[in-house]
Amino acid sequence: MFDIYKLMWGKRNLVHTLALQEMKKEYAGTLLGVLWGLVNPLLRIAVYWFVFSIGAKVGKNVDGAPFIAWLACGLVAWFFINDAFRLSKNSFRSKRGLIKNTPFPIAVLPAVNVLYSYYIHLILLATILVVMVFYLKTISVYWLQILYFDFAAFMLLIGIGSVTAPLVAVSKDFGKLIDTVLVFLFWMTPILWSVDNIEGPLKFLVQLNPFHYIVQGYRDSIFFSTGFWEYPGYTLYFWVFVFVSFVLGNYLYKRMKPIFLDLM
Amino acid sequence: MEIAVSVKNIIKKYKLYEDKWGPVKEILLKKNLHKEFLALNNVSLDFPKGESIGVLGKNGSGKSTLLKIITGITDPTSGSVEVNGSLVFLDVSSGIDPELSGYENIFMKGTLLGYTKEEMMSKVDDIIEFSELGEFINQPVKNYSSGMRSKLGFAISVNVDPDILIVDEALAVGDSMFRQKCMDKMNEFKDLGKTIIFVSHDHNAVESFCSKAAWIHEGNLITYGESKQVSSYYHSFMSGRKTMEEIKMELNYHHSLETAELKNNAGQLSIELSGYVYNDEENQIKDWYFVTQNARTKEKKKYLLNRMADGQVKGKFTISLPIFEDLLFYSPGQFTFEVGHLNNDGKLVSFPIWSENVDFISEPEINHQFKYELLNYNQSLIMKIFNIDKLEEQVNRIYFEGNYLMIDGVAFVRGYETPSGNEVDGELYLVHKETFEYKNFPITFKATEEITENQSFNPLGKNYTYSRFISKVDLSELSEGEYECKIRYSMNRDPLHVIINQVWASKNDQYDLNEYQVNDKSIQIVTKSKHLYIIVSA
Repeated sequence: MFDIYKLMWGKRNLVHTLALQEMKKEYAGTLLGVLWGLVNPLLRIAVYWFVFSIGAKVGKNVDGAPFIAWLACGLVAWFFINDAFRLSKNSFRSKRGLIKNTPFPIAVLPAVNVLYSYYIHLILLATILVVMVFYLKTISVYWLQILYFDFAAFMLLIGIGSVTAPLVAVSKDFGKLIDTVLVFLFWMTPILWSVDNIEGPLKFLVQLNPFHYIVQGYRDSIFFSTGFWEYPGYTLYFWVFVFVSFVLGNYLYKRMKPIFLDLM
Repeated sequence: MEIAVSVKNIIKKYKLYEDKWGPVKEILLKKNLHKEFLALNNVSLDFPKGESIGVLGKNGSGKSTLLKIITGITDPTSGSVEVNGSLVFLDVSSGIDPELSGYENIFMKGTLLGYTKEEMMSKVDDIIEFSELGEFINQPVKNYSSGMRSKLGFAISVNVDPDILIVDEALAVGDSMFRQKCMDKMNEFKDLGKTIIFVSHDHNAVESFCSKAAWIHEGNLITYGESKQVSSYYHSFMSGRKTMEEIKMELNYHHSLETAELKNNAGQLSIELSGYVYNDEENQIKDWYFVTQNARTKEKKKYLLNRMADGQVKGKFTISLPIFEDLLFYSPGQFTFEVGHLNNDGKLVSFPIWSENVDFISEPEINHQFKYELLNYNQSLIMKIFNIDKLEEQVNRIYFEGNYLMIDGVAFVRGYETPSGNEVDGELYLVHKETFEYKNFPITFKATEEITENQSFNPLGKNYTYSRFISKVDLSELSEGEYECKIRYSMNRDPLHVIINQVWASKNDQYDLNEYQVNDKSIQIVTKSKHLYIIVSA
C-alpha cells in the first residue's frame, strides 16, 4: 500500500542528490545563483504588503500581530506549498526524456521536487525568522513548532504530488486544471486574510483545506503561542487526509505507470 | 551456460486512438475505440553472459521496445524479464542537462544510473580522459557541439563499468577515430566477460561485432543464432532477394540434399537427386516442388516432388531432372536448386536446399551435348553448363522487311568444316525476359567467302563456306516486352556438338536501330551490351 513511499525512503540519498542537482540546474548560468530563491519571494511579500497596507488600506494588525510580519509568515509557508505542488505534479511529464531513455526508479521523482522546494524554503524561512527576531524583538519556544508544521507540510505535499503527478502525466488537461486550482487555493486559503473574518459553515469549509492547517500552524507558532495539540480534532483530520492521499497516490502510480509510459 | 538477460513470452501492445478524446470516450461510453498495435509478439530470448549479442531489425520492428523492456523503462503487457547483474543503457543524449557543465553532468548521469558520489569520484578522471573534452569539461554542455555531447554521454556510460551494456545505434556519432575508440572499449568489455546487447539495423556492424544475433521483424522473433547466419538472412530480406515467407520457410524446415548424380541413360541425360525436407509439425505442406533456377535470368522450372510416405525416413525424396527434355532451359549458364511449394495465392515460395554434405555418386563432370558440372558452393549445390566448342558469331546486318525482321550474320566453329549446307543446322530463339516464353525461328545457312578467305580468321586454310546465317523473325508473333536472342548451332556430323549462345551483335552502324512500326506495335533493336535484344511496345 505504501510501496512508492518505501522506495522514496530507501532511495533518500538519490532523492537528496537529485534535489541538489535540480537546484544547480535551476540557477546554473545566473550570477546571483541560489540568492534568486530569496529575492523573488521577498519581492512578492513586499508587493502584497504594498497592495494591502498602502494601496487598499486594509492591512491592520491581526490579533496584535503586525500585519507585515503576519503576512510574511503565512506567505513563507504558502510559497513552499505552492512550489512543491506545482513542480511535483509535473514531475513525470517534465522528465519524460529521462523516463523514456534511462532505467531509473521514477516513482521517487515527486519526492525530488518536494525536497528541492523544501531546500529553497529553508533558505527563505531562515532569513524571515532572523528578520522576525529583530522586528518583533521577541522569540518563543513555540517557534520550534515550525519544525512539526514543515514535516506535516512535507508529508502532505509528497502525498498530493504522488496523486497528481501520474494524472498529469496521463492528461495534460489535468495539469492545466490544477494550475487553475492553485490560483484559486491561493486566494481561498486564508493567507492574505484572517480566517476569523468569516464565520459559520463557510469557515468550516475553508478549514477543510489542509493547506490552511499549515499556514495557520505557522502563525500560531510565531505569534500566538498555540500548540497543535490544542486542536486535536483538526490535527487528526489533517493526518487522515495525508494518509488517504498516500494510499491514493500509491494506487494511482501503479495503475497509471504503464499507461503514461506508453503515452509519453 | 550462464544467462545475463532472459526474456520470456514478452508481449507488448500499444493502444492507438483515432482522436485525442478517444481514451475519455472509451471510459465514458464503455466502447472499444482503439486499435491494438502489437509491438512485440511473444518474444522469448536468452542472452548468455560474456557474449555480445546483436538485435537486428528495421526501423519500427520492435527492437527498441524490447530494449526498453529489458532496461525496465517500459513494462511489457505480459511476459517476464530477468536481469542478472547491473545494466547500463548506453544512450548518448539522455540524462545530460545542457545548462550544467560537463563535469557536473558526469555526476548527474552517474546519480541517475544509481552510483554514489564517491563511486563517481573514482571514475571521473577516466571519463574525462576518454571523452577527449579536455578543458571544455567545465563549460556548460549547451556550448558543446553535438559530437562532443555524444562523446561525453558515451564516455560516462562505458566507464561506469556495468555488467551488461546495452548499445542502441549509438556508434553512428562522433568521428571515425572516436568510433574506433568506442569499438575498442566495447571489445575490452567483451574480453572482461561482460555482456553487450547491441541493437542495430546495420547487419555489417552486427556481423563484425557480435557472436550471436537475433532478428526481430514486425514484433516477431524471426531467428536467433550465429550472427553471420542471422545477418545473412536479414540482409537477403532487406535487400529484397528473398521474401519473408521464403525465409520463414527456410528456417522452419530441416532440409538437405544427400546424393547427386549425372546420369546418361542411353544418350538421355538427367540429374538424379535425393535428400529430405520436413519440419517438426507434420504435413503442413502437401505438395512440394523441386525448383531449378537459372542464376542469370532467374528463370525457374519446377518439378513435383514425391516424398516418401510416413513411417519411412522423414520427408525423404528422390527426383530425376530430365535435362534432355529441355535443351533451351538447360543451356549454358549457371543453375541453383531450391525446394518450395505454392502458397495460397498460387505463387511459388522456395528456398535454396542445403547441400554441404551432398555425395556425388557419378563423376561431377560429364560431356554430352554440353559440358555439365555439379559443384558445391556456399553450402548450395550449383550446376554449370558450358558449350564444349566456341562459336564464332557476328551479326552483319539487321533490317526490316514488311512484317519481318531480318538478321544476317556469320557463325562457325573453328575446326568444324562446312563445305556444304548439310553440315549444320540452327535455330534462333527469342526469349521473353519476364515470362520466359520463347519463340523459335529457323536459320538457313548460306555460302559465303567471308571467313574462308580471311587469313586472320582462317590461318589453317579450312573450308567454312556455309557459315553465313539468315533468320527471318515474324514480328507479328511477338507480344509486348523485351526479348533476349539466342542462337543454336548444331553439328550434323561428328562430334555432333550443340552450341547455344546469346546472339553477339557489335556492328552497330550496320543495323537499323530506328523504331519500326508493325501492326500498331513498335519494334526497337537494342545492342548496347553487344548482345542482341528486341523490345516490343504498344
